[in-house]
Formats: sequence, structure tokens, C-alpha cells
Amino acid sequence: MKTNSLLVETRALSFGFGPRPVLHQLDLQVPAGSIYGFLGPNGAGKSTTLRLLLGLLPAPAGTVHLFGHELARHRLAALGQVGALIEMPSLYDHLSGLDNLEVTRRLRGLPAGRTADVLATVGLTADAHRPAREYSLGMRQRLGLALALLPDPELLILDEPTNGLDPNGIIEMRALLQTLQREHGKTILLSSHLISEIERVATHVGVLQQGRLAFQGSVAELQRRQQGHAQVVIDTDDAARCQLLLPVDLGGATVLGPGRLGVPYQSAEQMAYLAQQLVLAGQPVYALHCQQPTLEQAFLHLTEPAVA
Amino acid sequence: METALTFAQPGLLTQLRRSLSADVLKLKHTPALWLTLGSGALPVLLFGLIFFFKGQFLLKPGQNPWPAYILQSWQTATGLLLPLFVVLLSSLVLHTENKALAWKHLYAQPLSRAAVFGSKLLVLLGLNLLAQVVYAVLLVASGWLLGVLRPALHFADFAAPLGAIVPLLWHTFAATLGILALQYVAALWWRSFAAPVAVGMACTIAALTLMRWEFIDWVPYAAPLLSLKAVGKGLNVGWALSTSGLLALGWAAATLLLGYALLGRRHEGAAR
Repeated sequence: MKTNSLLVETRALSFGFGPRPVLHQLDLQVPAGSIYGFLGPNGAGKSTTLRLLLGLLPAPAGTVHLFGHELARHRLAALGQVGALIEMPSLYDHLSGLDNLEVTRRLRGLPAGRTADVLATVGLTADAHRPAREYSLGMRQRLGLALALLPDPELLILDEPTNGLDPNGIIEMRALLQTLQREHGKTILLSSHLISEIERVATHVGVLQQGRLAFQGSVAELQRRQQGHAQVVIDTDDAARCQLLLPVDLGGATVLGPGRLGVPYQSAEQMAYLAQQLVLAGQPVYALHCQQPTLEQAFLHLTEPAVA
Repeated sequence: METALTFAQPGLLTQLRRSLSADVLKLKHTPALWLTLGSGALPVLLFGLIFFFKGQFLLKPGQNPWPAYILQSWQTATGLLLPLFVVLLSSLVLHTENKALAWKHLYAQPLSRAAVFGSKLLVLLGLNLLAQVVYAVLLVASGWLLGVLRPALHFADFAAPLGAIVPLLWHTFAATLGILALQYVAALWWRSFAAPVAVGMACTIAALTLMRWEFIDWVPYAAPLLSLKAVGKGLNVGWALSTSGLLALGWAAATLLLGYALLGRRHEGAAR
């Protein structure tokens, strides 16, 4: 990753709560204009990292750079360009949705028209005058996103933004994030433990495991890295019979179903050879293809605890 | 990369103005605002009724009823109600942020901690002053009403001592600042409603029981009641603060400075 295009960069960032270490030597690199999916199981340190990026927690070791400037020295100027939604949205239940936005608009000294714009963007215009306490979980999440979008920021930091959204809401959120990135050139740092979410929107991925980056790069790079986990999937009549007939070639195969086998992928020649051997053994081959691991499988490979 | 973005931060006064404007909006429909506007009515109503029904036993015939009426009401208000009001008010104002899990959002805005600290302090000072002014206005208005409803008490025969009310307000307002600062810092530190209220109530009751203690001037929770020492015969009130009033200001200054330094070490690591 070229460092001159990084909007967010941490260098050897470490953090601990008291004696309990949370992050170790984190070198996060979020390219400008990307949707960076920050993945990790619960408790891996994602929210702590995002809090450090916003200066909500002090960095005892290492540095955080936003827009190329060191956060510790330019915090307020940097935050002027950042919109964030960290964990649950911060909403004043006694105020209407509109007034909640108005509070943040005043805090940032933004033009009055922005509140109506972001309400329309997140589809809450009709409910703007209802108290936030009457909002559903999904509406609260959308209002939280509106708060983050209010300053029209260059960088959006969103911590689990699809929490509480129904399937339609998730699809809308995904479309909105893609529009913001593609049409408005925004950079979005998106944390989630839902791989399926990240897979559909992210251009780049960082995988956090026990406070360390297990992987960082583009989605394509991650999938390339996982090619060792690709497998040849064979659809036939009787998987067990094929294994009996070809013990050398298929003895170590995984039975994926009554008529489906999986063999670790080696080469195109290996695929041709397997097809030939099955036909010679009198077994039908309905389909034979190389299956790349999904991001979910890649994530599981990266985050599974190392075997001693 | 060094971006070409406008990378400037707003000045401290701009931050303070923005934060104050947002904090005022947050008061809409809050118990803190209702408490401010309504709490002054309680002692006024109490003493209005007492004087309406039993005023003839509390006033000397033919004398100006205003000083006795104002002083007795003021004494009740400042001894217990005013300290408790300040304790409740500071916790309620800050509870708005606790309840909304808003601290993390607030500190992720381009605002310094000084602006957030200063703005909430100004809101508290403003509400405290507003409540006391509302109380004083209601008190005078109730005296005028008694003049109409109970002419025998002679409220209408004498002018309301408006000239004494303003310095009296100055003394009580200054006397509350020590409590306000302590409760403000405690509520900021604990980020809970109950803990600072419990401590504040305990301190207020302790102060009332220690009223005869030789060092009571040093106890900020006793200062509102002690501020009445500045009242001379016939409701003559000067502007110079009494020892307890000066010490309350000292408490306020020291607590705010120390509190601000301490609060700079508090970070947003929890789920707020």
C-alpha cells in the first residue's frame, strides 16, 4: 500500500486497559477513497482502535495520523473532517430527531440547511419531529448515521453501523455507503464482525485478531492469499463409492454431500486428471470446478487460534 | 498524505459559543429546566400561604411587613432548598449526556475539553441565577398579592424593598458557587446521577447540623444560609461578601481548576 495515499494511518499503535493489553503494534493503513472493512471477532479491539483514531483514548505507544497529520497535534482540525458513529448512537431521547441533529449542527457551526439534507439522505424526514425515544432500533441507527454525515466529512468512521437494521435497512445502508464512496469520494472505515456485510461493500480489509492485524490489504489480495485454501468441487452420483474406487486420488477428499466431494486445489492439470480418472472408473461427473474461499472462510482461517 | 483540505481549527471562543448554543438546546423538555423554573415557587407558595392565614401573628402591627416576609422566606429557601436545588440541578444537567451515551459523540466533535467544560458550567451558572431571580420575582409578586388579598397585613402600604433584593441575590448567588463547582466536578467525574446527589444531600445535611461549629464558614454547603449574615436591620444589605461568601468563591475557583485538571485524565474508554 502506498503511504502517500493514506487517509488514516497508525504506526506501531499499542494500547491496554491497565495491565490488560488490547492492541499490539497496530499499523493500520486506510487508503483515501476506499471502503475499509475492519473485521474481527467481538473483543478483538476494533472499537478501541476506532476510539483511538478519534482521540477518545490516548495512545500510550505509537501514533495516529489522519489526513497525513498527527492526531495528537492536530486533533480538533482533523475531527472537523471526520464523521463518526461509535457503538450505539448518542441520542437525546427527550429531543426530536431534528433537534438531535440540530445539537450537532450547532456544535460544529454548520449551515442550517444541513439537517434537512441528512434527514432526507437517511430517510427520516417524515419522522423528524417525533421524539427520538419513539424511534425503532433501525431508525436510531439511521439517525446516528445522519449525525455522522452532518458535517459532510471526508472520512466516515462507522462502528457496526448495521446493528439493529432489518434486511431492507442493511441493503439501504450498503447502497448509501457505496454511493458516498463512489459518487462523493468519501473514505469509509467500517468495523463489523459480519463478514458478509464487509464482503459486499469493502474495497479493502483489515482483519484484527487478539489486538494484532492478521491481514491488511485489498479484498482481492485477501482472496489471493487464501488460494491455498481453494478446492476442487466434484459433483457425482456417489461420493463414498468414488473414494473407494480411487483411494489414492480421492482418499483424502472431503465429503461435502452424498454426491459431492472436495479436494484441495493444486492445478488445472490436477482437475483434468481427476475428471479423467472418475470417467475411467465409470463414475459420472456432473460438474467439476475450482471454488475460491469466501471472505468468510478467509476470515476464519486468519482468526482461528494458532495450533500449538 | 498532507491533504489540501481546510485544516484549521475553530478558536476557543467560537468553540465555546457553539457548545453553549447546543447545550441550551439540549435543555428543551428537560427536568433541569422545569426544576429551574418551578423550584422558586415552592418557598414562595409556602410563605405566601403562611402569611395569608397567620400573617397577623408573624408581623408587628403597624410595621413594614416586607423585611420580615422576605427574610423568613429567604432563610427557609437558602438553608435547605437552595443547596439541594444546586445539587439536583448539576446532576440533572450532566445526566442528559450520561443518558444519551453522548460523551463519546461530544468529544469526537471539533471541540476542546475546555469548551465543553466551560459551556456546561455557564449553563449551570445561568440556570442557578435564573432560578434565584424567578424566586425573588415571585416573592415580591406574592407580597403584592398579599397586599391585595389581605390589606390588614399592610403590604400595600409600603414599597417593596427592590433595592435590597438585588444585593441579597448577589450574596446568595455567590454563596452557591462553591456547592455548584463541587457538584459539577463530582457529576462530571462519576457520570452518574445518584452518586453526586447522594453525596450532595449528605453534605447539605451535615452542614446544617454543623451550623454552630467555629469553622462553619469553611463549609461550602453552609454558605447560602450564612450569606444572610450580610443582612442588617431593616433589610439593609451591602455588596461586600461575608467570610463564608468569599470562601465559597475560593472553593469554586479551586474546585474548578483542580477538577478541570483531573477531568483531563478521564477518557472515553467505556461504553459512553
